[in-house]
Amino acid sequence: MKINGVPIEDTFAEAFTMRVARLIITGRNAKWAREAAVKLTGFATSVIGCKCEAGIERELKESETPDGRPGISVLFLTMDKASLPEQLIVRVGQTVLTCPTTACFDGLPDVPDRLTVGKALRVFGDGFQASKLIAGKRYWRLPVMEGEFLIEETFGMQKGVGGGNFLILAADADAALAAAEAAVQAMTNLPGVILPFPGGVVRSGSKVGSQRYKNMIATTNDAFNPTLRAITQSQLPEGVNSVLEIVLDGTDVPAIEAAMRVGIRAACGPGVRSITAGNYGGKLGPHHFHLRKIMSEVGA
Amino acid sequence: MSAAVTLSLAQQPEHTLVADCIAADRFASLGAKQIAELPVVHGGRRATLGDFFKVRGERSTTLRIEGDLARVEGIGTAMAGGEIVIAGGAGRDVGVQMIGGRIDVGGDAGDNAGGARPGASRGMAGGEIVIRGSAGAEAGARMRRGLVVVTGDARRGAGSGMIAGTVVVFGKAAAGAGRFLKRGSLVALGAIERPATFRYACTYRPPHLPVLLRYLRARYGLAVAEPQITGRYARYSGDLAELGRGEILQWVAP
Repeated sequence: MKINGVPIEDTFAEAFTMRVARLIITGRNAKWAREAAVKLTGFATSVIGCKCEAGIERELKESETPDGRPGISVLFLTMDKASLPEQLIVRVGQTVLTCPTTACFDGLPDVPDRLTVGKALRVFGDGFQASKLIAGKRYWRLPVMEGEFLIEETFGMQKGVGGGNFLILAADADAALAAAEAAVQAMTNLPGVILPFPGGVVRSGSKVGSQRYKNMIATTNDAFNPTLRAITQSQLPEGVNSVLEIVLDGTDVPAIEAAMRVGIRAACGPGVRSITAGNYGGKLGPHHFHLRKIMSEVGA
Repeated sequence: MSAAVTLSLAQQPEHTLVADCIAADRFASLGAKQIAELPVVHGGRRATLGDFFKVRGERSTTLRIEGDLARVEGIGTAMAGGEIVIAGGAGRDVGVQMIGGRIDVGGDAGDNAGGARPGASRGMAGGEIVIRGSAGAEAGARMRRGLVVVTGDARRGAGSGMIAGTVVVFGKAAAGAGRFLKRGSLVALGAIERPATFRYACTYRPPHLPVLLRYLRARYGLAVAEPQITGRYARYSGDLAELGRGEILQWVAP
């Protein structure tokens, strides 16, 4: 299979079941909503080192938010149930509570599994906090120097998918970056998906474990490192001198498939030699995203 | 089971008709005949609901009431769920001590809407009452939890003695509004005769009000103006003769 002359390898991305929450952050304007969202999702690229993965899902219009202000929706993922509320309480408390004009709402209202994030943060009010029940949802009003911070008492948690990916194999670093940027641009603002890495792109894809260091749980993916082509079992075709990876997390499999579809198509530009994906032989993750199957659904 | 139970006033009561048997959740398991046999008190004498109302439908948590109900008292007393839609106005004690559900009054309501029974320390403890007109005295008095909305004026003592919850008055709130309030919010979109025992705190944009006012507009179709949603409110803490943890939020400007 080829798209714009770029071969799509017959392989699959292997992804994991994670726990996901969606937060809606609103602000007096889009700038302040984004300021909070950027801080909230900072240092949340991979569970390997950050204990969570997070990113901006999309911008929300005034008509889409509970308080009628501009907003940002954020997805937050962890590997287990227990660590999601821990991460949210710490991060929302330090980044959204502190950010001028913002309020924080639940973006998964119909999900039965609830995390008491707002209830935990209410104690910042030192007894001066007040709650309001509006349309069956409880909100907490925390007095702050600016005025008040509003946060919903609970946030929904559901199963999500983490680790969807594809690799862009290019003739040089410039072509790889241009293709990755095009892919990210195409996937930006798609519902149910985030790209947790810087600018949506990973340059340091990893393999499980280490050949040399026992304590390392992930080390460089030498099979796809062009500089190691001559001294490892390289999987890089001839003519490939740079590789970038796009990692996708999402609320469900269809959301990730839809994003991969538009992302891969956009990545197939000048200088790209092929598109492939990272997996562990299909033994670790329950979700397998077969590139050709996904791309065939758009008649590529 | 019907989509709704409808009570149409067939016999205008000559005296006060205490109909505290009317509650949407109670009708969920009753047939039309059983509903008609529910007890009421007319001028101090026992009677049945069927003596005054024609009953259509059965076994539904949605209840519609039609007719001039100015003399009918206690509609929705202690109601725990469901919805009552009253086509016109209603007498006193609408939703007294209700704990859940919704009551939508299409006109004026009498005294003590959402309030407490005589001698009780607590009034309404949950649910929502929307009065599309003016309210009598002490709307939401001693409320523990819940929401009372008055689109017109509220006579004396709206929200007086509130323990928590929210009262919203679109029109004028007369003297005694919020008096002896412990916690809770009295939102005044019009003029309010504020007790002297409330102290000014600041003028700001309470972040929960856009959520609340947009909900009222969407759920009940109330005419909430955009400046009321986005505007600033003066916050008065009180009642300082009580806990002082409550507030009057008075709309001041866009």
